[in-house]
Amino acid sequence: MHGHAVVRVAPARYVEAATLLRDDSDLAFDYIEFLTAVDWRPKGGGFEVVLHVASTVHNHHCRLKVDCDAGAPHCPTVSHLWPGANWHERETWELFGIVFDGHPHLVKLVLPEQFEGHPLRKDFVLMSRVAKPWPGAAEGEEEEEE
Amino acid sequence: MGLMEQVAMPQPVKFILNWGRKYSLWVMNFGLACCAIEFIAASTSKHDFIRLGVIPFAHGPRQADLLVTAGTLTDKMAPALRRVYDQMPDPKYVISFGSCSNCGGPYWDSYSVTKGVDQIIPVDVYVPGCPPRPEALLHGIVKLQEKIGKEDIREKWRAGISTPPAAG
Repeated sequence: MHGHAVVRVAPARYVEAATLLRDDSDLAFDYIEFLTAVDWRPKGGGFEVVLHVASTVHNHHCRLKVDCDAGAPHCPTVSHLWPGANWHERETWELFGIVFDGHPHLVKLVLPEQFEGHPLRKDFVLMSRVAKPWPGAAEGEEEEEE
Repeated sequence: MGLMEQVAMPQPVKFILNWGRKYSLWVMNFGLACCAIEFIAASTSKHDFIRLGVIPFAHGPRQADLLVTAGTLTDKMAPALRRVYDQMPDPKYVISFGSCSNCGGPYWDSYSVTKGVDQIIPVDVYVPGCPPRPEALLHGIVKLQEKIGKEDIREKWRAGISTPPAAG
């Protein structure tokens, strides 16, 4: 998709797959572009962690998708493989509430200390939208158009 | 303050004091987002707000008379804005520059954006736009100068609109 390989892996084999991607000489994904998550719960799914890595050796990209539990999402960390994943995982943790098992320093990165909740979850209550609903099309419809 | 408390200020004295104050506004640029670029454009040679007596880039809030909040204020940044405002000496003025600064702008429903800097500090002039053009800032400055020109500085001090809060 978009010229990249997209691989969906189970959480249990996520680190194994990521290690292969980094260490195999034909793959050599030595650079992490980003790590984020998608909340698919309104569509009946769970959380999906998305890892996008690139290779500066072979100039190719790859996306790893990990399906996590909807209730208490957990995902193994890859911050020991790519140090750049450290802050991305902290941000994903605070915005989506996905716990990255094995992360060395899982504390808030961008949100204020006293902030409660995970604002990028679809069920996060936005006070302004409670007072005034979103004026455009419903959010689900917009997503399908994209 | 002692003499000013006792004697009513004659109109010509008031005029001259205000005239002096309104053409010598040292400005503090509280640049938060892209509006700050428009502010900088307004300070450079093409638009040049020094001709209105606005002296850009005071060395710090303690030297500034005018605070321009240009950009998106987040809840996390809000205490810093309040602190900068409290550090400025009276009489002080605030121009809220841009939609984000006025009311949250496109981030009206955001979880992290303060919906208007007037929730944190008193604002004298609002400049609308996303971002406003430098000309809009010049217009805002002229509007502020009109406001200063009509002011009775005794009343401004007495009203204590900008008394520092008890716990800083």
